[in-house]
Amino acid sequence: MGFEPKIIAFCCHWCAYAAADLAGAARMQYPHNVRIVRLMCSGMMHPEFVMDALSQGADGVMVLGCHLDECRYRDGNYRALDRSDMVVELLEDFGYEPERFNLTWVSSQEPDKFVKAVTEMTVRIKKLGPVNDVQG
Amino acid sequence: MAVTAALEWLGSCSGCEIAILNIGEDLLPLITETLDIVHAPLLMDHKYFGQCGEGVALEIPDAVIGIVTGCVNNREHLEVLQEMRTKCKVLIALGTCATHGGIPALMNGQDQQESWQGIFTTVSTDPGAEIPDVEVPPPLDRVYACDEKVRIDMQLPGCPPNPEFIAEVIVSLVEGRDPILPSKSVCDTCLTKREGKGTVDKVKRFIENVEFEPGAPIDEMRCLLEQGYMCMGPVTAAGCAKRGVPGCISARVPCRGCFGPVRKGGNQLLDMMNGLASNGIDYKSVVDRRSILRFTGAHGRLRPVKKHVAREKS
Amino acid sequence: MAKVLNIAPVSRIEGHAKIAIHLDDNGNVENTFLHIQSLRGFEKFIEGRPAEEVPRIVNRICGICPWMHHLASNKAVDSAFGATPTPTGHKLREMCQVMAHINDKILHFFFLAAPDFVLGPDADYSVRNIMGLVKAAPELAKQVVKMRQLGQMMLDKFAGKAIHPVAGVVGGFAKPMVEEERKELLQGTRTLLDFGCYALDFAINNVFAKYMDIIGDLGAIKTGFLGMIDREDGSLRLYDGQLRLMKSDGSFVDFEGDDYIDYIGEHVEPWGYSKMVYAKSWKEGFDMALTAPKGIYRVNTLARINVCEKISTPRAQAALEAFRSSFGRPAQQTLLYHYARLIELVYSCERTIELLEWEGITDPNVRAKVEPKAGRGVGVVEAPRGTLIHDYTTDENGCISGANLIVGTTHNIAPMNMSVKRAASTLIKDGVYSEGILNQVEMAVRAYDP
Ligand code: SF4
Ligand code: SF4
Ligand code: SF4
Ligand code: FES
Repeated sequence: MGFEPKIIAFCCHWCAYAAADLAGAARMQYPHNVRIVRLMCSGMMHPEFVMDALSQGADGVMVLGCHLDECRYRDGNYRALDRSDMVVELLEDFGYEPERFNLTWVSSQEPDKFVKAVTEMTVRIKKLGPVNDVQG
Repeated sequence: MAVTAALEWLGSCSGCEIAILNIGEDLLPLITETLDIVHAPLLMDHKYFGQCGEGVALEIPDAVIGIVTGCVNNREHLEVLQEMRTKCKVLIALGTCATHGGIPALMNGQDQQESWQGIFTTVSTDPGAEIPDVEVPPPLDRVYACDEKVRIDMQLPGCPPNPEFIAEVIVSLVEGRDPILPSKSVCDTCLTKREGKGTVDKVKRFIENVEFEPGAPIDEMRCLLEQGYMCMGPVTAAGCAKRGVPGCISARVPCRGCFGPVRKGGNQLLDMMNGLASNGIDYKSVVDRRSILRFTGAHGRLRPVKKHVAREKS
Repeated sequence: MAKVLNIAPVSRIEGHAKIAIHLDDNGNVENTFLHIQSLRGFEKFIEGRPAEEVPRIVNRICGICPWMHHLASNKAVDSAFGATPTPTGHKLREMCQVMAHINDKILHFFFLAAPDFVLGPDADYSVRNIMGLVKAAPELAKQVVKMRQLGQMMLDKFAGKAIHPVAGVVGGFAKPMVEEERKELLQGTRTLLDFGCYALDFAINNVFAKYMDIIGDLGAIKTGFLGMIDREDGSLRLYDGQLRLMKSDGSFVDFEGDDYIDYIGEHVEPWGYSKMVYAKSWKEGFDMALTAPKGIYRVNTLARINVCEKISTPRAQAALEAFRSSFGRPAQQTLLYHYARLIELVYSCERTIELLEWEGITDPNVRAKVEPKAGRGVGVVEAPRGTLIHDYTTDENGCISGANLIVGTTHNIAPMNMSVKRAASTLIKDGVYSEGILNQVEMAVRAYDP
């Protein structure tokens, strides 16, 4: 009860970050659990960011980038996609539920999609409970 | 004037202590002239509770240099570590158990209670045995590295650490200068031939010997990673090399990372998988990836596997 | 004024232990305990690991005898995978193991135990140690350090790592020996053999003769013995052979390590993390009573010297004959562990030379083909501290699904407890005790080299 997860969302500057901005400007409601970290491209997301976030108290991590084939840097998001498979597998190795990670594509013109993604993630993490429920 | 020193071992195997004794020729002057050892369970008889065992509080004498080895996994370790911190001016964590949890921190990957229960119900153990709890120090919730519990002034990893650098750390302290220690990766100290990964796209288990000409110098042997074995040299701190070759490599055996990550907060599993993936080697071909963390399970790195939650469609 | 004396830590031993001596109102010993303080859980956390990796994980059980765990583990994995090491692989492993015995015995006798004898059990604690030994007998100390270093560096150079070795591999050994290495090792070992013989003479003349009265009495108990012997001629073996379990009257049974569960069991007391191994097959249960112990046997040097028919190398055999004519068979005095240790030192040197002189030792065929698979395997070697048993079960992937380890020291936990009780109750009377007396109680533990 009353568990308010912390979620870190790594957002690509060119799309998701802009979408979040737009959502804010349009006063669309989305959960305050989400803390946004801006990356120049989703391809810059190193798996270490995800593991470090979780080991330092985040309950979930999202990466949001441009739609496939729309990346400013050509194939940054394809690289993010490749890595995300690995992140999901490694999460289990590190003792986290793979569901604590999510990768979503949003264009700069899709604030609604951004809101939907972070809302769904929040619901999912609430169901999972805090990262450190077993050990302190 | 000799500098006072206290040595302590927590959850350790004594290998670090033996590494100290392996300093060689310089050992005797070091322990009899340079240092004045005031406490060291392996070598001398100073007692926690007085020499006749009548004291009530655990006590270690004051010392300028303190060296602790081993991980922290029970209350006694914690108490001893705290006493060492209080009594020693400079506290050194020696060995990978002390700096990163070491092999004993593999326990952090399991349910501790269940494991301990299992240990006291093996095939050869008399039925009905329970986990001992009288006059033995109770376990902590998990295995810790020393710096998770007290401030540590200097870290010297290695399982075991290299005697050469143990001596360097002690001598530099006594001389009041910074120690000269290696800062790169094991690969940087490795002389094997590197020609590019070639056709390797998977790593193999170490169930057959690597290829090399017996007796030929190491620089005529091809890098083990390039031979298709998972060698953790790239993601492991340098320091084990003696006679110019990393320890395991000179035995023609791949590195398993016993000096811990290259950067103090690094993550060998992530770095290794990332390295394999970016070289087009299938990281899924590694059997039991979690054991890549076998030396660095403290600091929350290794945790019990979470039962899988039914995966939702997204 | 009943009270408890806590001797902690027990020092100049390899592990973490504490002795508690409970005195009654009159200051006489009511009870004693040797508490084993540490538990790390190797049996459990090797589960799931690929079996071929385990020999380089379990060596961390002990940094003083890592080779023993490394090789017992390799033997267990060999047999779980159904692999037979090549003859040369087998012999290279044995050579490393006996060489490791050499170092261990020098370390134990001179660094840990000798200060009690050379400086005297009552010497002040600040000098009763290797540092004090350096001042009291500088030439000897220098020699000891040099010899230990020589042995350690020979192993380190040949096998890459002397502490926490990696060169033993499932199916054999990771690298062959070349002629140049063989020559160098032979030369070094010959030097060590000379030192070993000198050490034995030194101890017989300067230590055992002088402390004969203490030896006869300190911590003396009467038990059975367990150790490894050659399958054919019953001679002393450290790396491979069958086990012999002897009763205190000298009668014995021989069995294969694979069947250990039929012969020995592990008893647990709530006051120590170490289990206590006992002879289940004697069907008398477990009891540490000094007058009539039940199921208690001992391992380690004295045990091996007692159970073997003979020693296959000449100088050690001569020493064994002299030993038997003085103390009989089985010899029971606890402090004779030191004597037996030095006989084994000589044997280990001679055996290393024998192996190095074997014509096949430089054969390049050192590792047999292996396939990871499901199975079960028991690997047994004689560690300096006693019979070491690794028992693994693997799954179809060749990963560990279950493990049971019986390490050398655990066989001796019950006997050590008995020796402590015996020593304390003999030495402490009517509330009179001193640092020197308490150190003698510790000496009873130190003899076992736990
Ligand atoms: S770091 Fe290695 S050698 Fe040192 S105590 Fe730990 S296991 Fe032993
Ligand atoms: S990967 Fe291994 S063999 Fe290759 S250079 Fe690095 S340490 Fe040497
Ligand atoms: S090669 Fe790797 S595993 Fe081997 S000693 Fe060096 S750091 Fe440790
Ligand atoms: S620029 Fe948006 S994902 Fe690459």
